[in-house]
Amino acid sequence: MTQRHSTRGAWLIILASLIAMVICVYDYYTPETGLIGTGGVVLVAIAGLLMFLASLAMALVPNRSCLLQGFLVVSIILDIIGSSVAGYFLESPVIMAAEALALIGWLMNVIGDAADRSVEIDDVED
Amino acid sequence: MSKIKTYALGALGLAAAVAAVTFLPSITAIAQNGGVVASGDDQTWDAFGGNQQAQKYSTATQITPDNVKDLKRAWSVHTGDVSSGERSTTWGATPIFANNTVYVGTPWYRIVAVEPDTGKTKWTYATHGGEGPPENQGLKNRGVAYWAASAPQAGQPCQKMVYVGTMTGELHGVDADTGKPCAGFGKNGVVDVNAWAPKNSKWKIGLLQPPAVYKDTLILGWAGNDWVYKTENPGTVYGIDARTGAMKWTFNIIPPDMENQTGTANVWASISVDPETGLAFLPTSSPSPNYYGGDRLKEMPYATATVAVKAETGEVVWSRQLTHHDIWDVDINSAPTLVDIKKDGQTIPALIQATKQGFLFVFNRNTGEPVYPIEERPYPASDVPGEVAAKTQPYVPYPEPVIADHMPPVSKFADIVSFGECSRWKARIRDEGRYTPPSIRGSISWPATLGGVEWGGGALDPTTNTYVVNSNVVPQIYTLVPRADADKKYGDKLRAPDGYAAQQGSAYGFKLENFLNMWGMPCWAPPYGNLSSYDMNTGKLNWKKPFGVVQKWGFYMPDSWGSITIGAPAITKSGLIFIGASMDSRVRAVDMKTGNVLWKHIVDSPAVSQPAIYTYKGKQYVVFAVGGNGILTPRLSDQLVAFSLPN
Repeated sequence: MTQRHSTRGAWLIILASLIAMVICVYDYYTPETGLIGTGGVVLVAIAGLLMFLASLAMALVPNRSCLLQGFLVVSIILDIIGSSVAGYFLESPVIMAAEALALIGWLMNVIGDAADRSVEIDDVED
Repeated sequence: MSKIKTYALGALGLAAAVAAVTFLPSITAIAQNGGVVASGDDQTWDAFGGNQQAQKYSTATQITPDNVKDLKRAWSVHTGDVSSGERSTTWGATPIFANNTVYVGTPWYRIVAVEPDTGKTKWTYATHGGEGPPENQGLKNRGVAYWAASAPQAGQPCQKMVYVGTMTGELHGVDADTGKPCAGFGKNGVVDVNAWAPKNSKWKIGLLQPPAVYKDTLILGWAGNDWVYKTENPGTVYGIDARTGAMKWTFNIIPPDMENQTGTANVWASISVDPETGLAFLPTSSPSPNYYGGDRLKEMPYATATVAVKAETGEVVWSRQLTHHDIWDVDINSAPTLVDIKKDGQTIPALIQATKQGFLFVFNRNTGEPVYPIEERPYPASDVPGEVAAKTQPYVPYPEPVIADHMPPVSKFADIVSFGECSRWKARIRDEGRYTPPSIRGSISWPATLGGVEWGGGALDPTTNTYVVNSNVVPQIYTLVPRADADKKYGDKLRAPDGYAAQQGSAYGFKLENFLNMWGMPCWAPPYGNLSSYDMNTGKLNWKKPFGVVQKWGFYMPDSWGSITIGAPAITKSGLIFIGASMDSRVRAVDMKTGNVLWKHIVDSPAVSQPAIYTYKGKQYVVFAVGGNGILTPRLSDQLVAFSLPN
């Protein structure tokens, strides 16, 4: 059964994933980064793409099942954690900053969604 | 930071496990969607080792521990000499600065001359085909040599010359000002050294290391191929007239009556010279075949030794064998560094010979007598039929060796993630520490052929006699393969991708394996490399710290792990150590007093060379040849990069 879920923060996550992907492409092709041609940045770029798709679904499909909502929320937070750790070991502050931005978006969405649920419950109780 | 990274690595492992269980299904679901003054007060770097004494020391003081953080890239050039994809380049050249020019040899055996302050190319010289056929040593150039006439003839060319060797055994001499071949040197500027070494020749000899220069004599060794045949070219060192290329003398390392039983024991590393006494110090390598000595049991005292010869005649003055009956390929792989040790109120003219075994042998350079005692210690016997390992080997307890007597313990992390592969492997091979003889069941080689100390050797501040040296902590597995088994498995192959080398003509083939688990992780506990500082007046270790950073798939591992290093440090009077060498593509400045890294900068690939330091027009430059090395990472480059302080 579908219901309306919060789209708050989704665009911030989309922006963060795009930043992560762009910086990965830059790192992959630029010798001065020390990461040229490395598998690590490819991994983060793929994670960024997956985060982009998940957050796009979050933004464009407000009416979604609770199962899909849970899947998107869990997937994105795991993506953020994994990419942040990768960014740390790649010694890339930009990737870590992008993931911090994504985390803010994720928190906005989760808190917003909980708040919406709370309002709906209040409506019912009224 | 390092501790945080170690903890973070543990967390990463946990996160990876969680991700594997939780996240991967999600991915699947969504996916369905690297001496001679130039002019005025300029400080030169006119030899491979910085100077003839191989001290790798600069008196420059502009860059200091206080301002090194401001060091910026002054210029960067790409020589165009990088791997074509089919043949991997390994660029370990030291750029030299002389004649107001930076000269560097390239892996395709060219000379590139650039302006010292801009990097703009002055001229290039190509040897045309100097790289030789693929079965030779490879594209490894370690630089060029520079010579200047003591009484130059005005208006005449070639009063200053630059030399580069090739993988086809040719030594080329060109005019240092123009890059034109010197017609009076050999035949039109080329001496065919290979023609002097025809005995048991299977390959053309490789002149990857530039010759040492003493007055008007070039002292030249060569690189061979000592893993695939029992007999090879016997190691011979040549004294060559710097002007004409005529052979002045030879020094034979292999005794004549052994030449049909073995070969090599050549000098492939750099050579140092004492300009005051005219003695040249030769680091010699192990005889062929490297890992089975049953056919060469007779003593060969000049093999795996430091030998002092008169630079102008080749006459031996003294020699010291540093490994008896070498069956581990522990070539003496770097030029001894000359030092005047102040001890007990006396000044002792000495040299420091660092080795793959991690020992620092210190000898009186005029007599060969040890300055710090050497012990002959008993070591295990070989269990291989036909082999007789030496009963004792030289051991230097002091100065403290740069590596321990036994390999580090098995890495618990690497062992767990490989389901016990590391510990099982270790349990079934022979491991008795240093000098465990190669065996048929497999033996730990500790340290392995990578060292200990690699071919760069150490650097010395002659004002304080502080010696700095990088070292590796790497065990490998050596296995002898009985000939019948080798023939059955490998047929006529001289080498195979699994680490096999034929040692053809002997009773055993040989297999070298890296001690890595199924994921490619080292099976031994870190650190993998260190940087050490010694006070050579007392022999005391000042400090020893993990150096460099392992980088895998782009991920930087904790600083406490250190890195395998190839290349060497250079030091300045102002108290800085400059060094690349690490597996990550960074060059670093380290505080001489503390060993702390004060500055680092990313370059195109690992800088597996030693830097050059010079001043030009009042400005100090530090230059690195950045070439990479397939042993460390696949990332290769052809970058020559200089750093200086901003104006």
